[in-house]
Amino acid sequence: MSESASEADPEAAETADDLRSYVESPIIMATVRVVSPFVFTYGLYLMFHGANSSGGGFQGGVVVATVMLMLGIAFGIDPLREWVGESTLVLVVVAGVFAFLAIGVVTTLPPFGGGFLDYSALGFPGASKYGIEAVELFIGVVVASTITGLFFAIDAGKEGGDNE
Amino acid sequence: MSDLVALAVAVPIFGSLAALVAGLVRSESGWPVAVVACVAQVAIAARLAATAFGDGTITYVVGGFEAPYGIELLVDGLAATMLGLIAVVSLGVLAYARRAGPRSNPFYAVYLLLVAGLTGMSVTADLFNMYVFLEITGLAAYALVASGDRGRSAVAALKYLLVGTVGASLFLLGVGYAYIDTGTLNMADLATKLGDADPTLVHAAFAFIVVGLFIKVAVFPLHTWQPDAYAGAPDSVAALVSALVSTVAAYALLRVVYTVFGVGFLANNELAHAILVGGATVSIVAGSLLAVSQSEVKRMLAYSSVSQFGLVVAAIAIGNVTALMGAVVHLVGHAIMKGGLFLTAGLVATETGARRVEEFDGLVRRSPVGAGAFGVLAVAMVGVPPTVGFAGKWYIAVGAAESGSWALLAVIVGSTLLTLAYFARLVERMFFREPSDDLEPAIEAVADGGEAPGASLGMRATVVAAAVAAVALGLAVFGYSQHLQPTIEVLLS
Repeated sequence: MSESASEADPEAAETADDLRSYVESPIIMATVRVVSPFVFTYGLYLMFHGANSSGGGFQGGVVVATVMLMLGIAFGIDPLREWVGESTLVLVVVAGVFAFLAIGVVTTLPPFGGGFLDYSALGFPGASKYGIEAVELFIGVVVASTITGLFFAIDAGKEGGDNE
Repeated sequence: MSDLVALAVAVPIFGSLAALVAGLVRSESGWPVAVVACVAQVAIAARLAATAFGDGTITYVVGGFEAPYGIELLVDGLAATMLGLIAVVSLGVLAYARRAGPRSNPFYAVYLLLVAGLTGMSVTADLFNMYVFLEITGLAAYALVASGDRGRSAVAALKYLLVGTVGASLFLLGVGYAYIDTGTLNMADLATKLGDADPTLVHAAFAFIVVGLFIKVAVFPLHTWQPDAYAGAPDSVAALVSALVSTVAAYALLRVVYTVFGVGFLANNELAHAILVGGATVSIVAGSLLAVSQSEVKRMLAYSSVSQFGLVVAAIAIGNVTALMGAVVHLVGHAIMKGGLFLTAGLVATETGARRVEEFDGLVRRSPVGAGAFGVLAVAMVGVPPTVGFAGKWYIAVGAAESGSWALLAVIVGSTLLTLAYFARLVERMFFREPSDDLEPAIEAVADGGEAPGASLGMRATVVAAAVAAVALGLAVFGYSQHLQPTIEVLLS
């Protein structure tokens, strides 16, 4: 019993034009152009400091994601979504989680023979520190792309559509 | 190969990622990926269980840090049982979901994430790590419940999200109180340090953790998310969530109460003991009464779970070897029986459209497999001797008698009668009544084909397998309990 009534509602699409939130503003665009590289760098700084001071992948990832939010607000969310692409976003999330897991598993493989996530088994000086930083970086990638995806999903929701 | 413990959590996550990537290549390609991941998970669980029961408890510290500081993973007989249960049930539900279930790739990605979360909760020996996996489990479960295409699923998932988050937050608060005074999160380390800790903080920690887990287990006054979630979710999700999520939460309760707080704490604190006994008693009675009064089959099954988990909590409160054995047996048995019942209810609904109690009249003619399996599973749930339902209740009842908890014993025996009350009326309707005529519209679509269009061989096979397992496991309990005994004795020492 599959009742798949397609819910394409023509009225919802019409009212979406009235709800359009994008206003082209030279001030916002110029500001975003100037600010976003700094914000991005600050996000990276936070991620790399997860190992030995306050900071980390979650905070850094959120800061990096705000770059995408700023770009969306300045240049329009729909063009940004088309530019990024849904599948790219999924791939980036998957790649981030996969890289995290891969680091964990690699240390257990024959040449190293350590435990799961046992960075010091990698054998170069400071392996533990760099291992944690790498993991923080990947967490940052996952967080940033997830928040960007949520931002797109919320935006798609305002038009009464579903971005599945 | 002790890294296998960490891989048990990592493999479903890999599978989850693979399901997402496969979705980019081709839609509705998540099912084979999920099957491969679940088969691998069964193999890992079997290997770990063989080691845990054969050579004794496996401990593993992630990342090579020392035990109290690093995150410790531990597989004893109890955790191995849960691992096996999770792997087998998730594989079994997949066989059903191939035809019936949601088919999108994100669904299977979340499905495997739920498996990862549940596995993590089972193997962890670190209280904060347990919270993290509790949240992963919770979030995955909310998303799965919402995967139905009706508004009802979305509302149920939202309710589940709100109540479940409160539960997880209370658990985290409790963990925080325990951490404040001891400075450790490792369960074994906490157990030694809580003895010298400030009693007020320990009491607060116990209360928060237990009440938080009560919400996750769905013990009576805190069960409100559960009937909606089970009834609103797609059938395959209802089966998976009802079989595993509350079960693993109850396992977590058992683990925390006995590994962290210990027998002495319960013996010295009347109030702590009273929380467990009170929750159990109220849950058993109220859950059964509410189940009797339901007219929708899935809601009835959901309230039945409230009552059955009351039994498990009662066993945890009694806390001797026999009762805890009963708790574990009943957790496994309930998972198989209730998961099977939800799948059977789904099969029946697919074949005949019957979802309400009165629509089950004369079901045996319209859906012989569904009615037969439902009958066997219902009888097992009531606790008729050769089945696993009997074994679990028997151990718990004997445990209650051994400890002299006569009031609890009366409630446990009474609960069997109440279970009989709500299942007997369904069994009677299914086998001994004529089908009513006003159901024709639901059957019409089926009438000409002879066989229902929706039900697949996989769906029937899963349902029959669950019914067979409910009986077969009952026969295996005695051998199993001897293997489990050392684990429980360690837990109670």
